[in-house]
Amino acid sequence: MTPQLIVTVLVLAPLLGAIVAGLFGRRIGNVASQAVTTGLLFLACALAWTTFASVIWGGWGHFTVELAPFINVGAFHSDWAIRIDSLSAVMLIVVTSVSALVHLYSWGYMADDDSRPRFFAYLSLFTFAMLALVTAADFMQLFFGWEGVGLASYLLIGFWYKKPTASAAAIKAFVVNRVGDFGFALGIMTTFWMFGSVRFADIFPAVAAHAGQTWTFAGHYWAAMDLACSLLFVGAMGKSAQFFLHTWLPDAMEGPTPVSALIHAATMVTAGVYMVCLLSPMFEYAPVARQIVTGVGAVTALFAATVGLAQNDIKRVIAYSTCSQLGYMFIAAGVGAYQGAMFHLFTHAFFKALLFLGAGSVIMGMHHEQDMRNMGALWKKLPITYVVMLIGTIAITGVGLPGLELGFAGFYSKDAIIDAAFAAGSHNNSTAYFAFVISVIAAGLTSFYSWRLIFMTFHGHAKWGAAAATHGVHGDAEPSHDAHAHDDHAHDDHGHGHDHTPHESPWVMLLPLLALAVGAVFAGKVFVEQFVGEGRAEFWRGAIFNGASNHVLDNLHVLPAWVVWAPLTVTAIGFVLAWYVYIAKEGMGAAIAARRGPLWTFLYNKWFFDELYDATFVRGAKALGDLFWKGGDQRLIDGLGPNGVAAVSALIGRRTGKMQTGYVYHYAFVMLLGVAGLLSFALYAWSK
Amino acid sequence: MDFYGALQVALPEAFLAVSALALLVLGAVTAARGAILVSVLAGVALLVAAVLAAVGPLGTAFSGGLVADNASAFAKVAIYAMSAVAVLLGAGWLERLKARQFEYPVLILLAAIGMGIMASSGDLISLYIGVELQSLALYVLAAFRRDDAKASEAGLKYFVLGALSSGLLLYGASLIYGFAGSVKFVDIAATVHAGAGTGVLFGLVFLICGLAFKVSAAPFHMWTPDVYEGAPTPVVAFFGAAPKLAAMVLFARALADAFSGAADQWRQVVIIIALASMLLGAFAGLVQKNLKRLWAYSSIANVGYALVGLSAGTREGYQSMLVFMVLYMIDVTGFFACLAALNRNGKPMETIDDMAGLMRERPGMALAMTAFAVSAIGFPPFSGFWAKFFVFKAILAAGYVQHALPVGLAVSVAVVGLVSSVVAAFYYLRLIKVMWFDPAPGAVDAAPADAKGIAYAAALFSFPVVMVGLPLLYPLAGVAAAAFGLG
Amino acid sequence: MTIGLAHYLAVAAILFTIGVFGIFVNRKNVIIILMSIELILLAVNINLVSFSVYLHQVVGQIFAMFVLTVAAAEAAVGLAILVTFFRNRGDIAVDDVNMMKG
Repeated sequence: MTPQLIVTVLVLAPLLGAIVAGLFGRRIGNVASQAVTTGLLFLACALAWTTFASVIWGGWGHFTVELAPFINVGAFHSDWAIRIDSLSAVMLIVVTSVSALVHLYSWGYMADDDSRPRFFAYLSLFTFAMLALVTAADFMQLFFGWEGVGLASYLLIGFWYKKPTASAAAIKAFVVNRVGDFGFALGIMTTFWMFGSVRFADIFPAVAAHAGQTWTFAGHYWAAMDLACSLLFVGAMGKSAQFFLHTWLPDAMEGPTPVSALIHAATMVTAGVYMVCLLSPMFEYAPVARQIVTGVGAVTALFAATVGLAQNDIKRVIAYSTCSQLGYMFIAAGVGAYQGAMFHLFTHAFFKALLFLGAGSVIMGMHHEQDMRNMGALWKKLPITYVVMLIGTIAITGVGLPGLELGFAGFYSKDAIIDAAFAAGSHNNSTAYFAFVISVIAAGLTSFYSWRLIFMTFHGHAKWGAAAATHGVHGDAEPSHDAHAHDDHAHDDHGHGHDHTPHESPWVMLLPLLALAVGAVFAGKVFVEQFVGEGRAEFWRGAIFNGASNHVLDNLHVLPAWVVWAPLTVTAIGFVLAWYVYIAKEGMGAAIAARRGPLWTFLYNKWFFDELYDATFVRGAKALGDLFWKGGDQRLIDGLGPNGVAAVSALIGRRTGKMQTGYVYHYAFVMLLGVAGLLSFALYAWSK
Repeated sequence: MDFYGALQVALPEAFLAVSALALLVLGAVTAARGAILVSVLAGVALLVAAVLAAVGPLGTAFSGGLVADNASAFAKVAIYAMSAVAVLLGAGWLERLKARQFEYPVLILLAAIGMGIMASSGDLISLYIGVELQSLALYVLAAFRRDDAKASEAGLKYFVLGALSSGLLLYGASLIYGFAGSVKFVDIAATVHAGAGTGVLFGLVFLICGLAFKVSAAPFHMWTPDVYEGAPTPVVAFFGAAPKLAAMVLFARALADAFSGAADQWRQVVIIIALASMLLGAFAGLVQKNLKRLWAYSSIANVGYALVGLSAGTREGYQSMLVFMVLYMIDVTGFFACLAALNRNGKPMETIDDMAGLMRERPGMALAMTAFAVSAIGFPPFSGFWAKFFVFKAILAAGYVQHALPVGLAVSVAVVGLVSSVVAAFYYLRLIKVMWFDPAPGAVDAAPADAKGIAYAAALFSFPVVMVGLPLLYPLAGVAAAAFGLG
Repeated sequence: MTIGLAHYLAVAAILFTIGVFGIFVNRKNVIIILMSIELILLAVNINLVSFSVYLHQVVGQIFAMFVLTVAAAEAAVGLAILVTFFRNRGDIAVDDVNMMKG
């Protein structure tokens, strides 16, 4: 098989699965649909690893397969294409591996659901759209994939569409992403305006020549490249749930847990990071845009980590964790360490998918209970889940020994980012320095909330079933009467047995967990040299561009010792604090929550972002809509237009009906009037 | 031409006349027992006459009184075929009423003879005789249910107003005869070409008024809703179809053969009638609750569209008018066949509200009626769309291409036509909405096979058979239109 | 004065008008409507016959014969319908022919 054929099959296989399961799912049955989609995904996964190996170590090199022309209008050309280089190859294995494992996991997790073919069709459709996104050779296909994953995400968040909160969350995700997409589309237009093309192959070589281009608007000169990159980054903010546009991601947890693992942790939300790295040739010439990227990433990392401290829903904690980690990736991209961003994206996919799927296993074991306050002491009941969650937690907190260069996956990638931020910050870049400080603090917070999750879930006293009754420990006060109950009770809506003892999940769910656990342990150690180390030039081969003055990654080895050891230190502090609050003095967390202190309330309510947006955008838009709808449309346009015409028509109808009196002499009279009228008209018209 | 040759030209009508008399005798002898037999034979006679009309020799007979040409052949085949359908529909209806009256098929035969004469009339006398023969039979058919107060009222109204219109028509004919000096269309045409005097044009207006009544065009439409409502449904199915075509062809023939020289004058009158019909049919239908009345207004509007084709005064216009009428006849027959088939607890379903929930009760009939309603809206690719499409195309072409009338006028006519069809769409859509979405008040009786068959066949014709039939029908209508003596 | 074509036409027109008015001015009796119809047809016959004489043609008179025949048939049919109407309603007042309207 030629490389071209392999990658074509790789990209189209999930689409085939989606079509088969989506259109014929009802006919061929649940098992067949699941088997087809999962089988095709494992095929795609195998091909992706083949492609990755051949591109990185084999002789394939970088190439583009043009499948078909898409749009050809004037100077605007766009093709369906598959672009294969080191960057897309990394994404291919991330997407297909996680997707294949999630497909497999869903056999167990969705076993009770009635519409499994639909679920698997959506999953495969999502995978196809994501593959189209990462293999795009121009902005048009990138946008297509962008919208495709958005659509699949919308469908999957609202998969249990009978649940109002799920529908609302799906709509919220869709609307917030529209805001980002608006910026993205403007960014694409700006790029096209600058370069006269949307093809990466045309744009990237020309970037240097356009670097100084300006655009006059409102009396100011704006650097066109900064403008384009900033607008494109707005799109990335929406998709990657960055500060201001992050509100949809926690709500997206209304979807089934496998969806959260695949879309809202490992793949789709990283599309923004991927785009920034892909467009590194442009961002390298857009210093202001990169400052924005760094700043937004840093704020997000801190913000999400703080909010994660106070959440009780197990999935929401992980969701905010995702948000925070994405912030890390943007910090890396913003300071110029695109390789570090991609590396963290890569390792994060493993341990975050692991955490989500583990959380799914816990939720399933707890009979669709998601509130951590009602858990505890689960490690005996769910031993395998406990172990893999532990591995995931160690990986995300970045435990490792800097001196020996030995640790879990997160250690390599996260420390690379923190170090890069410092390295950039030490070169008179205050934003980068700010990002460095934030990222160290956030690392401590990450450790705290991650261990908090482990302790609340698996350790302490059992707060479920009969155990809860005997011990009388109820975690935080009155969980069900909480003012934000809707946040905490996002139960999956399908029936389950009445046996309320927690139980371990079936092997079909544990196998993907174990596979991901292997990745969470070793992905960092194995690939660190290739991604950010000495072997990076040979690994990326120009897929990521670093400007002539960009030496961030070269400076990673000459950092002061305190910088190198800082992350581990704060991680340890976070662990100890969590241990103290949730194990040593169990009940202290609940007591803090019960006091409803201002800081706790602020964090618990997610910095009041939803309330702020509701008060400004939602109500404002509604008021504006009401004005146009009721005032403009209903009164003016409908009143004078359709309704007015309809009323007049009905009136004419009634009048003509009244003329039809039923009396013969009236009829005869009308006829005679007709004759007289026509005669008069004829005499008048013909005499002329 | 000798008498034998003349008989050959008039063979379809002669055959029908002999058949009608023979069947009358047969019916009188066998009484109720022979009613079915008479119906069958009448149907066969009509089909034979249709074949005779199609294959018979072309030419003129009785000193130009009767003309057999492609136009008359085209019209007669359609007329006789639709009359045969009406015989079939009526026979089943009478059978279910336990009223085996052999007069029904005989009356339809007599009306068919009248229509045949109308379609091939070559002078004012045969014009009048054809119209009267048809009308007298139709008056009786309208009042056919002697014990039904509504039917006899419908018959009486139709008779009185019909007689008045015949008087107008006849008065016009007498004026034309006097001022043109001949009753033959050919001679009249020669006189008109030389310059039509006021007397002739005066007579022409009267003639147009009389014919407008027969096609139920506004403002001579007043009889239509009442007669449609009162007359028995199978009779209305017949009224709505063949006589309209016959009157339309006669209209076209009189205007083209005798008055092609005054086309600019009569075009204005016909356009006024057409516009009035389209608008009135659309607006007055809005408030109707009875489906038969509603379809009466619908027929007024549709005749307006056909008159638009006629008013173009071009060969293409005539062609479009013929196509329109044939497509419309099939739709309207199918619709009234549906109405004749539908009963709820033995009571006929005649109002829009009666149709509530039909989709759940009788999906087949509901689908057929939906097809007719959609077709009447003029929704592509149903037959009603093509009918209107050709008509509007013809009037616009007459304005833009042939310069037969001012472009502005042609466009205004087309615009008014479109507006009125948009207005009319409301009542068709309401019928569909009631059938599909309203709850059913009770069970609908099973539809009889004959009416159901006719309804389904017509519905299938309206779509998709029309897609096959149209490429055959349209050129045939073109050949027929070429036979009219357009200038 | 000589009685010319115009006089005959005028008489016919007057008769025609009376006939037409008879149809819709009369509110009493359907029979009168039938009579009015006869009047219209006779007016036309006068027209036809006088034109025939004026044009020195026989066609007009033939036409008139046809009209007479048809008028007879029309009267027969009209009366028959009127009889059924009377049987159903017990009255033939014009104002009562009003079951259907709108």
